[in-house]
Amino acid sequence: MATLNYLILVPMVYVAVAVFVCGTLWRVFRLLRSPRLATPLAIYPVKKPGWLYAAGDALLLPTVLRHNPLLWLALALFHLGLLALCIGHLELVADIRWLQIVPHAIFLGKGAVGLAMFVCLLYFLSRRMVSPTKELSVPEDFLLLVLLLLTVLFGAQMDWARNWYDYSTMSVDDYRAYLWSLVTGKPSIASVEGAGHSFMLVVHVFFANLLLLAFPFTKLMHAIFTFALNRIRRG
Amino acid sequence: MEASLRDELVRLFDTKLSRQMLLNLETCSRCGLCTPACHAYASMPLPKYAPAFRAEVVRRIYKRYFTALGRFAPVLGEAKPLTDAALEELREAAYSCTGCRRCMVYCPFGIDTQQIMSIAKLLLIGAEAAPEILSLLADVSISKGESIETFKEGFLQGIKRLETQVVARWKVEAGTTPIPTEVEGADMLYVALAGAHSIIPAAVVFNAARENWTLSFFEAVNFGAFVGDPGKTQLILDRIVREALRLGVKEVCICECGTAVRVAKQLSGTQPFRVVSLTEVHARYLREGRIRVKKLPGSHTYHDPCQIARNGGVYDEPRAILGRIVEDFREMSPDPKYNWCCGGGGGLVAMGEDTLDFRMRSSRVKADQIRESRADVVVTACENCHTQLENINAHYGLGKEVKFLSSLLADALVAP
Ligand code: SF4
Ligand code: SF4
Repeated sequence: MATLNYLILVPMVYVAVAVFVCGTLWRVFRLLRSPRLATPLAIYPVKKPGWLYAAGDALLLPTVLRHNPLLWLALALFHLGLLALCIGHLELVADIRWLQIVPHAIFLGKGAVGLAMFVCLLYFLSRRMVSPTKELSVPEDFLLLVLLLLTVLFGAQMDWARNWYDYSTMSVDDYRAYLWSLVTGKPSIASVEGAGHSFMLVVHVFFANLLLLAFPFTKLMHAIFTFALNRIRRG
Repeated sequence: MEASLRDELVRLFDTKLSRQMLLNLETCSRCGLCTPACHAYASMPLPKYAPAFRAEVVRRIYKRYFTALGRFAPVLGEAKPLTDAALEELREAAYSCTGCRRCMVYCPFGIDTQQIMSIAKLLLIGAEAAPEILSLLADVSISKGESIETFKEGFLQGIKRLETQVVARWKVEAGTTPIPTEVEGADMLYVALAGAHSIIPAAVVFNAARENWTLSFFEAVNFGAFVGDPGKTQLILDRIVREALRLGVKEVCICECGTAVRVAKQLSGTQPFRVVSLTEVHARYLREGRIRVKKLPGSHTYHDPCQIARNGGVYDEPRAILGRIVEDFREMSPDPKYNWCCGGGGGLVAMGEDTLDFRMRSSRVKADQIRESRADVVVTACENCHTQLENINAHYGLGKEVKFLSSLLADALVAP
């Protein structure tokens, strides 16, 4: 068991991050290498500056708001939650002073972020089970949602425990010691081993690794491609 | 399917993988937001008519031959090899899509289903499974471009016969030709369709505006674009480009044909002439006071041809014209960007009776929209739309009149 924990918490993380970074770069590189069509492919009317409207489309999803407000709300909550979690995880690695301009406890939202994302993911999953989104869905769509759901659930569980039922067998410093050891290339899992929440952590990291591994090979790439595509639509 | 054919089709597929196409293929999250945007789906709610579902038919093959996930874990993305059955699916997907790009307005990313369908169309050509009639018509257009001399005489005689009708509606000064052809140094080359309705009203308005124009020998319609053959599309367009260069015109004006306008505007390349649609020219005449008009009675509404409006940006001009020539104008869609497609584009109307049943079933939402506009006359600026709207009018018993914008303007002309 200890070996398995180590494998998931150290080598697998390195592999996942490497595949994530290289794979994503490769996908972007492949795109840049392919020939660009000269024909304008915009939807009219076009407004200037195009890049600004495109960025607005990509970040604020106005078309979703117009045609499916409930989905928009869920997407907004989910993606903002993702942003908050990215910040939370960065702060778990090291103190980032400029992020503390507005002082806050590490992991924003006191557990609410994880809960909101969990609910959103359940909603996304349920949408896929009814027609006509059902017919559009392929196994990849379900797999990614389930992976996200599990990652969020186990991750949030640790957050909830600390925030809600005062069960903090691992402190921010313990997580930080582990993550910092990974960053500096002197991996050690000593600080996160043997605590009540070690199992949660291992499972969380395992699913997160799978997500990172999947990122460059799946539709998750929309996170990057949306900017380019929206730019084309805006002419 | 033979292995050699499959390899050839995969190679053809590869030629379509531009940067824009890769983005279209690799970004869809299958959120389904585009589903209600398609008139085919809105009229007949079957999953196969959802834009993303159509796109997925192409995407499955893309995944199988061009992506790592599709090669190693095909089941995850439902990647599928190219088979005869897959070709049949491609055919159904591509020829039930009119390329209106209304779905693109809904998509959070702006995925271009028409572009994706162009792959399906190309694969069908490669497998010799494209609609024969469209390929045939495209070939006729091309061969016409190669041998102008053989059909020139007949063409000129036909034009002569139309001239009396032009003069009957608008007197020209003695010595001017009512329908000029081959005028070197003319300001404008007008590219019409075969058929008096595309030539007479346009000529009447040109003459009224004292335009220094000349009629093209060629028809504007581009069957190469309908069948989705990039090579033929360009060849058909090049005939017109060459003619414009030979005559040294400043402007090439494309008649009321949405596809022809879009193809000519977007694929002519950098040239010493500008490409404009007839509607834009007419709006300009009115703006500059080159023609005088009266207001016609009756309630009118305007159907935006997708290739001219959503995909070409000509929204204001037809409204400016109608505002001057009809007493009662009623919008059929609050925001013209969202106007429903007539259901006749993408070569469907050109395929005639074969597609009539599908065209009528898929245009139920258009029929409803026209009915709700409560206008007596439906005006449009595209040949395909016009034919389709007339079919809809008859099929759904709407009891409207369908008119070309140019012919309405010709009717509204008054002497200076
Ligand atoms: S381009 Fe038009 S016809 Fe084709 S899928 Fe999109 S909405 Fe439907
Ligand atoms: S709206 Fe766009 S991303 Fe969503 S299913 Fe349709 S094409 Fe795919």
